[in-house]
Order: sequence, then C-alpha cells, then structure tokens
Amino acid sequence: MPPGRECKYGPVALTRLVHTVREVGFGERTRFDEGVLTVSADEARSVLADDALASVELSWASPGQSVRIVKVLDAVEPRTKGPGGGGIFPGFVGPARPQGRGETHVLRGAAVVTAGYLPRAQEALVDLSGPAAALSPLGATHNLVIEFTPAPGAAWEQVDNALRRGALRLATALAEAALDAAPDDVEELASPSPGARGGDLPRIGVVTNLQTQGSFKDVFVYGRSFGAALPTLLDPGELDDGAVVSGQYGHPALKNPTFMHQNHPVVAELRRRHGRDLEFAGVVICPEPVEQGAKEMISLFAAKVCAAAGFDAAILTKEGGGNADADVALKMDALFDLGIQPVGLYAEMAGADGTGPSVVVAPERATAMVSTGNYDHRLQLPEMDKAYGGERLELVKVPATASFEVPTAVVYCALSPLGWGRIAARAG
Amino acid sequence: MERAGIPTALLCNLVTIAERVGAPRIVRTRGIPYPTGDPSLDAEGEKQWRRQLVECALEALQTEVHEPTVFEVGQGRTSTSSAAAPSEVTHA
Amino acid sequence: MARIVHYVNQFFAGVGGEDQAGAGPVLRDGPVGPGARLAELVAPEHEIVATVWCGDDVAPGKVDEIVALVRSAEPDLVVAGPAFTSGRYGLACARVVAAADQAGLAGVASMHEDNPGLDEAGAVPVVASGEVARRMAPSLDRLAAGIRRLLAGETLTADDGRIGKLARLTVVTETTAATRSVDLALVRLGGDGAATEIPLPRFDRVTPAAPVADASAVTLALVTEGGLVAGDNPDGLESARATKWLRYPLEGRDALASGDYMSVHGGYSTVWANEDPHRILPLDAARELEAEGAIGGLLGEYFVTTGNGTSVANARRFGIEWAGDLRNSGARAAILTAT
Repeated sequence: MPPGRECKYGPVALTRLVHTVREVGFGERTRFDEGVLTVSADEARSVLADDALASVELSWASPGQSVRIVKVLDAVEPRTKGPGGGGIFPGFVGPARPQGRGETHVLRGAAVVTAGYLPRAQEALVDLSGPAAALSPLGATHNLVIEFTPAPGAAWEQVDNALRRGALRLATALAEAALDAAPDDVEELASPSPGARGGDLPRIGVVTNLQTQGSFKDVFVYGRSFGAALPTLLDPGELDDGAVVSGQYGHPALKNPTFMHQNHPVVAELRRRHGRDLEFAGVVICPEPVEQGAKEMISLFAAKVCAAAGFDAAILTKEGGGNADADVALKMDALFDLGIQPVGLYAEMAGADGTGPSVVVAPERATAMVSTGNYDHRLQLPEMDKAYGGERLELVKVPATASFEVPTAVVYCALSPLGWGRIAARAG
Repeated sequence: MERAGIPTALLCNLVTIAERVGAPRIVRTRGIPYPTGDPSLDAEGEKQWRRQLVECALEALQTEVHEPTVFEVGQGRTSTSSAAAPSEVTHA
Repeated sequence: MARIVHYVNQFFAGVGGEDQAGAGPVLRDGPVGPGARLAELVAPEHEIVATVWCGDDVAPGKVDEIVALVRSAEPDLVVAGPAFTSGRYGLACARVVAAADQAGLAGVASMHEDNPGLDEAGAVPVVASGEVARRMAPSLDRLAAGIRRLLAGETLTADDGRIGKLARLTVVTETTAATRSVDLALVRLGGDGAATEIPLPRFDRVTPAAPVADASAVTLALVTEGGLVAGDNPDGLESARATKWLRYPLEGRDALASGDYMSVHGGYSTVWANEDPHRILPLDAARELEAEGAIGGLLGEYFVTTGNGTSVANARRFGIEWAGDLRNSGARAAILTAT
C-alpha cells in the first residue's frame, strides 16, 4: 500500500466477547450470571409473538439428558453487538448494513432451536445423549427449543418467517443479558487483507455455497434471499454477526444452520492458522442455482472472484445432496483451470455397506476431496425419556422417544458440509 | 456386449450420460420416447430419418473406436469423449 | 490349517465347454483343474478341501444352491475363479462370494479388472487376474498370496492386486473435516498432485469391440431397452426395475404392425411408440437395408427389456446374457435403441 493512503476498509478486526453458558433454566427475568442463563418464558413468548403463530412452547434440552429433539429446523447462537442488538443479524433484527467490525458478545454453549413441522422440511433429529450426541453440534449445547402451533389460516411461509424472526430476536435478547458480564474469553479476530498470490505464505480462502431453492429451501444474506446473487467476497466478521441466515430445511445431516454460519468451521481453521502456515485469503459466498447453465456461470464467476482476491487455494463447502455436489465439482474444475488449488468437502453416499458410488458428481480435472462421512451409515439410537419437536418420527413411523435404527443422514449436521464433524469414510 | 466382441451402436438421446458410462459407439437420436423416430415429420420424412439413423449406426459399427465416440446422422463421427476415464484407480 | 472351497465353472472343472454351460452345480472332493496348482501354492498351511463347479449359463441364477454346496464342506474361506474376462463366469464368481459373505463366510474372487462381474462382489475383495487363461500361472500366484494374507487376518489393498469397489467404512477422525481440508490444501500446494481422501469414482472402462469389417456380410441383431413387447405383454415384462428380458420373433416380418406391439416402459410417454413401434425398433429400415445388401442379414428375433430404474446389477446381467446369446446365434453386431 503506497504510503500516505489508507484503505477505508483496511484490515477489519472483530472482537468476540465470549460468555460461556454452563447452566440453564427458566425464571422470572431473563438474566445471565456467572455462567448461568435464566430465561423468562413470558419475556421469550412476547419476543416470539406473531400473527402467524397461535402459540409457542419453550423447553431446555441440555447435554447429557435423555432427550431427543425431532423435526429440527434452524439453530441460532445467541449474539448481540449492543443493547437492542447493535446491528446483529442485519436485515432481520438490525438494519441491513454491512457488519463484522467492532465488538460482538457471544453466549457460547447455548443455542435457540426451532423444531416442528414445515413443508418440504426433512425430519432431522438431535440426541442429547447416546451415540448420536457427538454427531451433532447441538448435542453439546444447551438448547432452548421453540415448539410452535401455526395460527389457523396462516400460510406456511408466514409461519416460517415468524419463526425465523422470532428465533433471531430471542437469540439477541438472550445475549443482551450478558452485556454487562465480564467475558470469559476475548477473541480478537484478524480479517483477510488483499494480497498477491505466490507470497511467502500460501493464501487460502473458502468458497461457501448456499442453497437457494425458494420457500423452505433458501438462505438469506442481509435479510434477502441469495438466489439471484453473483458470488460475493464477504468479510468473515459478517458471518460472525449473522449476515447469513438459514431458511433451508432439507437434508438433515448436510444442514448448515445459522449457528454453523456464525461459527463457520473452515473460517475458524483459517483464522487459527493465519500467519502461521497460511494467509487467510477470504470468504466467497455463492448461490446454488438449480439449472446447469446457471451453475456453470456461477462457478466460473466464483473462480474469477477467488483469483481477484489472490487465492492460492480454495476450500469448497456445499449445502444439499447430489445437486449441490454438481456446484462443488464445477467450481473445483473452474478454480483448477485458473491455477488455484481446490479442495472439496464431500459427504459420501456409499450405501449401507459402503460399496456404492460414493460421490454423486465428482470434478473432472481437480481431484482433492475430503470426506465428511457416509450418509448411509446405519445408527442404532436408544430410547429417550423425552422428545421435543413432534410426537412421532414419521421416517420410521415410531414415537419420537423410541429406540430405532436410522442412517446417519438423519442426524442434524452429522455430515457437516462446513467441516464441523469428526467422521469420515475410508477404504475398507 | 462390446466386451464380448459384439460391436453395438447405441441409439440414444442423452449422449453425455452414454459417454460417461463408457458406451463406445453412440448415435444421437432426436427424442427419448422415439429413438428411431421423429413425430414432428410426416410419415415419409420419419421413415427417411429412421433409415439415416440405421445407416449411421452401420457406419459406427464399421468404425474402429478407442473410447466413447459420438456419431451424428449426416456428419459421421463428430467427437470423442472429453471426459476421459481416469487411467488408474486411486485407492485412498 | 484353513479349509478352502474353490468355485470354478464347467470348463475349468474339466467337465466340458459351452455344451455343459447349463449343467451343475456339483460338489467334488479336493481341488479340481487349476485348483490343484492353487492348492500347492497355499500348502501346507491351508487346504482346498472341496470344489464346486457350475455351468456358466445357469450359475448366476443358482447362487444360493452353489453357496449351500460350498458351505456343506465347512470351509473357512471360499475362493472363486480366476475368471479372466469371461463375463458369465466372472459374474457367477462375484455373486458367489458376495452371497457367501452375507452368510458370514469369508471369500475372495479373482478376475480381470475389465470383467463385467467385478462390481457385484459387494464388499468382498477381488484380486486381479490376467486377461486370458494363458495367464493362469501368474494369476494363481497372486490369488494364492491374497489368500494367505486374508487368512492371516489382513485387509487386501491395491498392492495385493485388489481391484473393484472398496467399501467406504465410517471412521471417527481426530481432527475435523475443516482442519483436514486445510491440511490437504497445503499438501496440494506443496506439489503433491494426487493426495485425496476420496478417490475419483471409477468409471466402467470398456475396451470397444473390433469394428465389423463389412456390414453386408454380417448378421445384425436389433435389441432395445424401450420395453416394446408383442401383444398385450403376455410374459409380464415390468415397466420399471426389470428383472428379466424377453425375445420376440422377427423371422419373416418386414414391419411391426401398430396394434400387434406395445411399450410397457414406465419411464417415458409411450404414445408415440404405440402409434408406430418402429420408433423403438427400426425393423422397416433395417429390412430395407438388408434387401439392398447393406446388411448381411437380420437376426430372426429381437431382445427387449425395460430400461427404467433397472438395477446396475440386472442391466449388467442382461448385457452379458445378450452377448452370450448373440455369439451363439451367429449375430456379430447389434443396434441397441435406448429411451
């Protein structure tokens, strides 16, 4: 940078003030003291109130409990940038203005979770104990579960909108309770800066594809569907501040809920190693078009953005099943053709015995793929004392508290395309 | 069938799939529900088209190929697959 | 000392050629045919206590019977092949070891990597053999080495000549996929052009048949997956997930009359096919070209199945059976119409 010129959006830094939630409960007022988060059900209900919802029910589901949450929809980590939100969740809670700078308070170890029936939603489950608990990030958080009854005559889209706004507002309100508390951790986060390829440390960025298929299968950026957008360079701080909100309820194991965008695993890894064995080059978000021609255009354009941002390598993440594989494959080849090393995060659909063709759409020229596990691997889940989100698991036609066998595909975020998980498939 | 030494001309519409799965001799047709037909033509025109398809198939059968190859009516061999199969299996 | 039962076809059992392809299965004591050499190679630690042979034409459909015979000899391991590139034999070998595996019996098969039966072995290891029977000796050497390793409790890998599908087994990893993806990016940037956790899918590599030298001298077969059957489907061809294929006569016919045929295919609109069956099976054009001398002759029947959600296993079997049938019939080329 020539001396005397300062870039207006120069290296942006975000400070996370982290408050660890150790215990939860209900009480008269919503408060946060010494790691104990108490929620006032009345206050929460008034935050969630909407014409499209006849009633809501609130429950805590905590790690280790004999509890299952079924029909899981979205999950949000309680965060705020100040009283009234301070700009958090721009486009939904805060006004739609670029965020990602300054201070953000985080209630770590807690999540606001909506659960219940919505059209086109595929039944997702979280177990708070047993073999499936470790397979979902929500198995390790204190989950404030919101169950709901739609108002008579309300359109499902309105119900969906109400739940989304309500959960985000509630997540904000919970974090506000910690504004005056001394944080347990202060995390100062670097931001990627412009740079040329081929420097001392390799510049590695991440390309995150967002599902954009309309009602109940859409992802919002600054409050608007990302469906018609072109690939966009984001500051990772914008993810922290909830600029990306999930309204997509398909493919349970392959879900990227709002919680996961707020805590983007690949971004976290790149931030962790920035200045050590790599330079964090940036975040590019892309829609996932449903038509081949558009997929090709978006993929070529994304590669162009990565090249302009000086990526030496790009990690690709997806959202969805085989159709989403196509977007990753096309981008990997487009990046490869520009001399940028692509690595694709793929879940495998290898069948119950693991011998099926594991990748639905593989790249043709690029070949570096990381496995996030086998979709079809069978799990035997134990009986639970309590279940939230529904009375029955329609998938296997049994009570939600029953013991049953399901493929890993049903566990919320188990095959996390954003790389959260610790399972993989290997040649046997 | 090709493996057994019987050259086979595959008449199909979804040519890229045929290439992907490795069919060596592919002749492009005009529609899925009528591989050797074309209802947009009159009876005589359709018979002519069908004959041309079969002639193209005969040409494919008499042509040496080494990888998935597409034959088009009136143009003969037009392409070889660019999506070449990997030359060796990679075991992770 | 492990007990091994060996599976071979009628030819390698010394029973006969194509004339015996419909015979068996039969259980014999000790090693038979190439089993004798194989027994020497695995001795003294292991013993081939029995051999089951079955005719190539009937074996793929008699897998349960074959496995029952195999198990009656109380083996620790079943070994099938080497089948080289023989499609029916390879398919039988793969199915036998896969079925034995389901019944809890360990197995290993041997065939060439181009053998169409390869992908039916399930998760059971298949070791590469040579292409032709002349390569029996090195094929047996490799198979014997694989048998020893398996019986020692080891997993066969590409270094042992293992081919075909490897089961992808779920494991728990120390680091997250996010960490591993960044690690892999650094490895690739470091110059390793091949590192990956998931191998590229293996596409079927087909070595194309030699072209027909002169179509005017050859008998051509018309075959289809368009589900076109005679009459009102008296033989019950399925409209999806077909488990069989059928044949109908073309002898003496120059054309397919619209009312005499119908398509039962559930995967496309059959209106046009029923209006004019030639849109599925181009008999009229083929007869015309035959009359003009461009084609030596047409096979006196056509083969049909329904290509709608057909399992890869069944589709492969149909192709192998059609090939066998055509070779026996004298047809030397085919036109396959697909919908």
